[in-house]
Amino acid sequence: MKGITGRLLEIDLTHGKTKDLPVSRQSFEKYIGGRGLGARLLFDLLPPKTDPFSPDNPLLFLTGPLTGTMVTGSSKFVVITKSPLTQGWCDSYSSGRISVELKKAGYDGLVILGKSNAPCYLRIDNKSVEIREANHLWGKDSFETERLLKESEKDPSIGVSSIGPAGEKRVRFASINSDLYRQAARGGVGAVMGSKNLKAIVAKGTKGIEIHDRNQMVTLNRKNYQRAKKSEVAQARKKYGTPLTLNITHMGGILPTKNFQYSTWEKALEKIDSIGVYKSIIRHKACLSCFTPCSFETRISEGKFRGNVLEGPEYETLGMFGSNQLIDSLPFIIQANILCDQLGMDTISTGSVIGFIMECFERELISPSQTEGLEIRFGDSEASLAAIERMALREGFGDIMAEGVRATANFIGNGSERFAMHVKGMEFPAYEPRGAFGSGLSYAVSPRGACHRRAWPPAKEILGSYPPYTIEGKASMIKGLYDENCILHSLLVCDMPAKFIPLSLDDYSQYLRAAIGESIPAEEFQKTAERIETLIRMFNNREGFTREDDTLPYRTLHEPLPDGPAKGKCIGEENLNKMIDEFYGLRGWDASGIPTEQTINNLEL
Amino acid sequence: MMIIVNVFGKEVTLKRPASLALESPTLRDVLLALKEKVEGPWTHMIKEDLSLEPGCVILVNGRNIDSLEKRETKIHDGDEITFTVLVAGG
Repeated sequence: MKGITGRLLEIDLTHGKTKDLPVSRQSFEKYIGGRGLGARLLFDLLPPKTDPFSPDNPLLFLTGPLTGTMVTGSSKFVVITKSPLTQGWCDSYSSGRISVELKKAGYDGLVILGKSNAPCYLRIDNKSVEIREANHLWGKDSFETERLLKESEKDPSIGVSSIGPAGEKRVRFASINSDLYRQAARGGVGAVMGSKNLKAIVAKGTKGIEIHDRNQMVTLNRKNYQRAKKSEVAQARKKYGTPLTLNITHMGGILPTKNFQYSTWEKALEKIDSIGVYKSIIRHKACLSCFTPCSFETRISEGKFRGNVLEGPEYETLGMFGSNQLIDSLPFIIQANILCDQLGMDTISTGSVIGFIMECFERELISPSQTEGLEIRFGDSEASLAAIERMALREGFGDIMAEGVRATANFIGNGSERFAMHVKGMEFPAYEPRGAFGSGLSYAVSPRGACHRRAWPPAKEILGSYPPYTIEGKASMIKGLYDENCILHSLLVCDMPAKFIPLSLDDYSQYLRAAIGESIPAEEFQKTAERIETLIRMFNNREGFTREDDTLPYRTLHEPLPDGPAKGKCIGEENLNKMIDEFYGLRGWDASGIPTEQTINNLEL
Repeated sequence: MMIIVNVFGKEVTLKRPASLALESPTLRDVLLALKEKVEGPWTHMIKEDLSLEPGCVILVNGRNIDSLEKRETKIHDGDEITFTVLVAGG
């Protein structure tokens, strides 16, 4: 089949062996690639109830059938493993040159098993796979690691993915970094990599990627490029990037503020929103293979971090380090983002844990005597930066915070779990669900914990026609959004061009035909998405998850919002349960959230 | 009456006050007045028939008008009207 290589590279770090793992055409037809193929592989490879840090936990790097083609946003890859943060399913997405280089070297992805007895890194090209010692890299931050590897290869165009000290120290929300500023960040994939003593992966391929119909691919790209040029949304996105989202979430009353106590923050405007960030942009950037760019580099223009450069910050970081910590300093947020990238940690979870501790201090549930003198209060940017480093290095109280907000709340106790904002142990991203009830359902039923990538409900509830504070129709709405993104994440394309050009699944079906010579009709995509999502549900059920895990924090369910358009609103257990019942029904799962025999048979699982 | 107008698009404009000689207007009345009598970055988003360019929507006090009374939504003194592209993702 064109577009894919039909083989994965299996690396056994325990025994220092590698081998090709053929993937059948039927597997691609049934699961597409990316998230879908990963669901099948993890379900089959992971012994049930395995500790995420056990050598038996596989670490999968997967591409999709459009990776490395000319399709816009096709330089993505996904890392799939059992999460040390949630103890369940984890898929974490990133852009990065490594996706394309792996495919050009002849692999659709990597299956990494076992554990090396000493720090190592993988070097992969067309002809060879080497497990090299990495003692000289261990302890280095991600930026330095990437620089040293590119220097030793004498080739700046190689693909490098690496972990920082946080991954080495198994911080449960440690990231895997690529191309300096791109992170597969959610769920602790970097910690699993660290547990295998795997510091980095280097890939360089020169084989090229064969596709079925190049002319058709070029024709589709010309057409869609013109659509992007005419799209007001794409042009706004190109200019401002994701910081524009902050203006919408503030306006719509879903901007997390003061550890999700409030939903709007006027002080953010013109400082850490689209206008504020735009003033610091020094150049716009695009991911490889993207003609609808939305990235940019900023430079800190004042203060003690003056001159430091970052690709970003993105909206999530602005929310979790800005409004959620009551800090309106863009230089601070850029510096916090740089630190998280260097040390190798998810900015969402890191920012969320710090916001939680700030509220604990405010409520006098902890004192500096318990945190080795570190007093972290809302608005204190210096303390926030110090907390990042302590978490990454697991120093002092940072060792507790590095376990995530759920574990930190368990440690502190005294009712703090009521405002520990997480689902299944994974921290909330930067959207307040009380201002858009569908977001609450989306967080609750997400297999990887509170997630903004499976669905982006503000598109429907703030910008669309769905009333935000009702539950009617929300289960169907969330299922539709989940299924669409499931396909995009299995084709493994960025879901942003789909939203702002926009490109439909029919458009991607045409791209797929140009790439592999076969198209999948929209109704088949639908069934495939349901198959993948149900398989992931079965995985989590096998790991011990039940309906009780599909829930929301006390604050979201029971504390009315004190401000914004959603003032007075909270979701309530009854509303959440009704939405979950309906969602399960639409999925063909029983009232306990277990897929029925009929569903399993219909989906050929 | 005075309303506040935001535009989130290729240009971002925050909290621009607009004085309109209207009494108990609907959004339709306000759109007509904004298009014809008040110069601003919203002008290019509002078409002759008062519909918007593709990919753009209107919020009144943070709510999409499609979840309110659409163009018949009553506008009051001090209301905040936002013209925005369909921003996606973070």
